[in-house]
Amino acid sequence: MDEKYTRPKQKWLDSVESTIKRFPERKNTFTTSSHIEVERIYDSRDLDYEKKLGYPGEYPYTRGIQPTMYRSRFWTMRQYAGFGSAQETNKRFRYLLEQGQTGLSVAFDLPTQIGYDSDDPMSEGEVGKVGVAIDSLHDMEKLFDQIPLDEVSTSMTINAPASVLLCMYIAVGEKQGVPIEKLTGTIQNDILKEYIARGTYIYPPKASMRLITDIFAYCQQNVPKFNTISISGYHIREAGSTAVQEAAFTIANGMAYVDAAIESGLEVDDFAPRLAFFFNAHNNFFEEVAKFRAARRVWAKIMKEHYKAKNPKSWKLRFHTQTGGSTLTAQQPDNNIVRVTLQALASVMGGTQSLHTNSRDEALSLPTEDSARIALRTQQIIANESGVADTIDPLGGSYFVEELTDQMEEEVNKYLDRIKEIGGAVQAVEEGYMQREIQHNAYETQKRIENEEEIIVGLNKYTLDEEVNPDLLKVDEALEREQINFIQQIRNDRNENAVNQSLEALRSAAKTDEQNLIPFILESVKAYATIGEICNVLRDEFGEYIG
Amino acid sequence: MGKIRVLIAKPGLDGHDRGALVIAQALRDHGMEVIYTGLRQSPVQIAQAAIQEDVDVIGLSSLSGAHNTLFPKVIEALEKRNAGDIPVVAGGVIPSEDIPFLLEKGIKKIFTSGSSTEDLAVYIKQLVGPKDVELSPPNKIAHIGIAVHSIDNVLSFYTDSLGLTLETIAEVKAERVKIAFLKIGESRLELLEPTDESSPIQKFLSTKGEGVHHIALEVEDIQLRMEQLKEFGIPLLNDEPKQGAHNSQIAFLHPKAAHGVLFELCQPRKGSDS
Repeated sequence: MDEKYTRPKQKWLDSVESTIKRFPERKNTFTTSSHIEVERIYDSRDLDYEKKLGYPGEYPYTRGIQPTMYRSRFWTMRQYAGFGSAQETNKRFRYLLEQGQTGLSVAFDLPTQIGYDSDDPMSEGEVGKVGVAIDSLHDMEKLFDQIPLDEVSTSMTINAPASVLLCMYIAVGEKQGVPIEKLTGTIQNDILKEYIARGTYIYPPKASMRLITDIFAYCQQNVPKFNTISISGYHIREAGSTAVQEAAFTIANGMAYVDAAIESGLEVDDFAPRLAFFFNAHNNFFEEVAKFRAARRVWAKIMKEHYKAKNPKSWKLRFHTQTGGSTLTAQQPDNNIVRVTLQALASVMGGTQSLHTNSRDEALSLPTEDSARIALRTQQIIANESGVADTIDPLGGSYFVEELTDQMEEEVNKYLDRIKEIGGAVQAVEEGYMQREIQHNAYETQKRIENEEEIIVGLNKYTLDEEVNPDLLKVDEALEREQINFIQQIRNDRNENAVNQSLEALRSAAKTDEQNLIPFILESVKAYATIGEICNVLRDEFGEYIG
Repeated sequence: MGKIRVLIAKPGLDGHDRGALVIAQALRDHGMEVIYTGLRQSPVQIAQAAIQEDVDVIGLSSLSGAHNTLFPKVIEALEKRNAGDIPVVAGGVIPSEDIPFLLEKGIKKIFTSGSSTEDLAVYIKQLVGPKDVELSPPNKIAHIGIAVHSIDNVLSFYTDSLGLTLETIAEVKAERVKIAFLKIGESRLELLEPTDESSPIQKFLSTKGEGVHHIALEVEDIQLRMEQLKEFGIPLLNDEPKQGAHNSQIAFLHPKAAHGVLFELCQPRKGSDS
């Protein structure tokens, strides 16, 4: 480096030495959540601009995937919502759309996510609790009542039975007169992270991967504007991973899906443009920004150099972000609004395509309407008042952020190498490698919090003796009974022959490896077969995964 | 004395097991034998596992809102199998308004979001009974308390003549005493000056004059140790631990039981080095 810079720096370093003798720094070492050491200061460094950054919309997309980013259009403000019955959730959706939300995001209850009908004994106590209960196409019709599917894009957090819900969505669109190729949205459809972190798996990995590649192939032909998967680091992070692990395991999973699709006979550029990602945003501000930037660069390089994708759309890592649920405290819940603001800001500075901001009361219960509105307003204030959306990648070129981006890329690549050695993400999941890495970090984090090495405001410092109990949203316990009555009524009203025929056709198709299952699922859905009936056919044929 | 056996269970369909796994690990680090059921267990499966594994306590975790339905069913399933005596504790996302209902249904205690694993471990040890618990001996002498008329007057003896480092001077209002801590190796000397006539230190000074007042032993699990001492028939001056300096928890043994020495048990605040 030029002496012009080194001499003043040496002088400064000398003065620091004498200062810290008298006034020691707060800690001996400062680190990010991924244990990357943070230096006292970062300064001018060599940066290969073209190779490492490029311009927005240009490979390797470190600065963003679109040439104009938020100067043309803000990110999609997409609040995850759903509880109780389809009617209730429909009401909340229409409220959020009226309040200026630009996309829908459906939360399903656990029975739906695991492919059980509401009247299955396994569903007891869970119906409508963490999301909306969907048993058959009838519920889906009520869910989107008066919401034109050609005008909204809908993200569905559904994995093991993603094919069933996608088919229900297609069928609702058909009833509304919306052509299938006009449907836009996303299904999460990311089973690997279910085994790793989230738990709503049904079938073993091989069968699950087949359903996923069937969806890729079907959508490429029929629903070209739908994102066929949202490869999710969110839940990996919530389960306790570091930021580096979140990015690394997600990208490793992404590679496993690409491998599976190629193996099933698809060309990489046929499906890769429809792959989407889903990340978390926690509190360590610069590390989060660097994570998003590094993830884009890593993915672009993998798609271009490793998979030899030709279409630039295949190189772009498009992602949704949600702020970190596990960072929110049950204590002094209003403090969570501030945490969410910081996290939302980091994801905007990181170039997210869409964003969910969590509600302040999520450590206590499902969000109330007031809390959900404040969460949405937080995004709207960042977008409209802060000015951060007016230039692209505003932290690009920051000595610290660029260094951190490089270091995170390096650390992510180390994990990718390790997973490659194990034999890829599917193998690593089956061996429990990622699960162990995450659990280890989760436990270490808990210990640091309990030893007060990590301060959580309101939890282990600045606590209140008396906590105020906020108003919480309650799901009516009567809903489960109503939902059970309703599904029984559906079974009475439908054409039982059509149901049985469609389910038997699905069963025969599942017995072979050659046939794409989606058209068979679509037929069953249209005959008002329930999600439990459809998933049970596949359970019979594929078996169940035991975690 | 065998290890305490704990079953950690996830009833229902909830897949969030970060908390359950962290707690399982923490209880193992507290010397317990922990069996984790894995996800998606029915109440009957949980009761059966608890009986089969002969556990001393069951910990349930649910974050999906199904607790009001599923937790009481676990208790019912235990009772049906004549295992109603196995205590059940629970945690997760449990709104505080649901807690009275769950306690009434027989859950012993609810640990909500933000509870420390330490609190849970201590609670389980108490629940299972101090008889079965091996307590480690006191770690060290935390400090020696010395009663003085005036800290200002004696301080220079300690700092200048003896060359010890003064750490803090503070007032403990509840005890009507001003204290000074001087560091010596891994322990401390604690100078105690009464702040008014009713201070227990004033009483000590009036009858015995200045001098050594008490010896404080640093312990872990102060609550358990107090229970255990009570069982041994050793009288204590306090029924419950009270707050000492630096947010420590303290309790005194009766000097008669200790042959004329006043012993203090002292559990430092977590993460502090005292």
